Amino acid sequence: MPLKRLTTLALYTTLSLAIYALESAIPPLVPIPGIKLGLANIITLILLQHGSPRDAALVLAARILLSTLLFGQFISLAYSLTGGIFSLLAMFLINRLLYGKMSFLTGAVGGLAHNAGQLLVAFALTATPGVLTYLPFLILSGIITGFFTGLAASFAGRRLSYIISSKS
Amino acid sequence: MNRTKQNAALIGAILSVLILVSLLYILFPHGKADSYIADIYQDGQLLTSIPLSDVKEAYTFTVTGATGCQNEVEVRPGSIGILSADCPDKLCVHQGFISDSRLPITCLPNRLVILLHPAEQAETDSAAIDMITY
Repeated sequence: MPLKRLTTLALYTTLSLAIYALESAIPPLVPIPGIKLGLANIITLILLQHGSPRDAALVLAARILLSTLLFGQFISLAYSLTGGIFSLLAMFLINRLLYGKMSFLTGAVGGLAHNAGQLLVAFALTATPGVLTYLPFLILSGIITGFFTGLAASFAGRRLSYIISSKS
Repeated sequence: MNRTKQNAALIGAILSVLILVSLLYILFPHGKADSYIADIYQDGQLLTSIPLSDVKEAYTFTVTGATGCQNEVEVRPGSIGILSADCPDKLCVHQGFISDSRLPITCLPNRLVILLHPAEQAETDSAAIDMITY
């Protein structure tokens, strides 16, 4: 891996970890497990649009591992990883379909996929079908928060993208 | 550009339908009833069922999981909630007391789920008769 790319990705990992830390300092908005702002997704989306899917996946994986190590319990790794992979795949697909435009839609689908993935893990871990009653709440919150992280990514991406472009 | 718009419209439409269905589901809960039975699950196993309409006086008990995790559950006439827990996020405690089947209480770290489901009509009838004869 070229030095510049390594440094850039490390910088983005730090950024997303800082955003994650900031978000975990905010008390939960609603007492429903799984509902959160998902601000660190902004970084994943920026990398997906201005870098490459590989960059996004690397930074996401690094951020999830580090955040679990620093803030979480071991069990949260299963949730974060599944949610992260689901949302990355969904956003990759939607971003392709939209040719990098209209990030708010990409973000909304990403949030939705993230929550769907987490609910699947919760279902697998608790083995209780009743957990699925959370689905409408998680669909709503995923779309709404994802919409705004998508918007944030399109605004921040314009300013941050020059760091990624490897031409310079 | 045109294809972008087409795809965007399609994605937007799917998202709108999902939002609408979720909202309807949340605002108009199905199976609304006068009395509910609380089922307490841990690790997918039904630990106990409590008909909430039969509860005359509030009482608490502690559910201890296989890993030693603990949740203190309080049952009140018509509602149920978790008073304290040793999980890290305490979301289950913050959720307070529930009295309908809209949203279960879940303590994910301790894999504890409290679900309410409507008591069957036959049961409420017999309970009513019991109360009269009592």
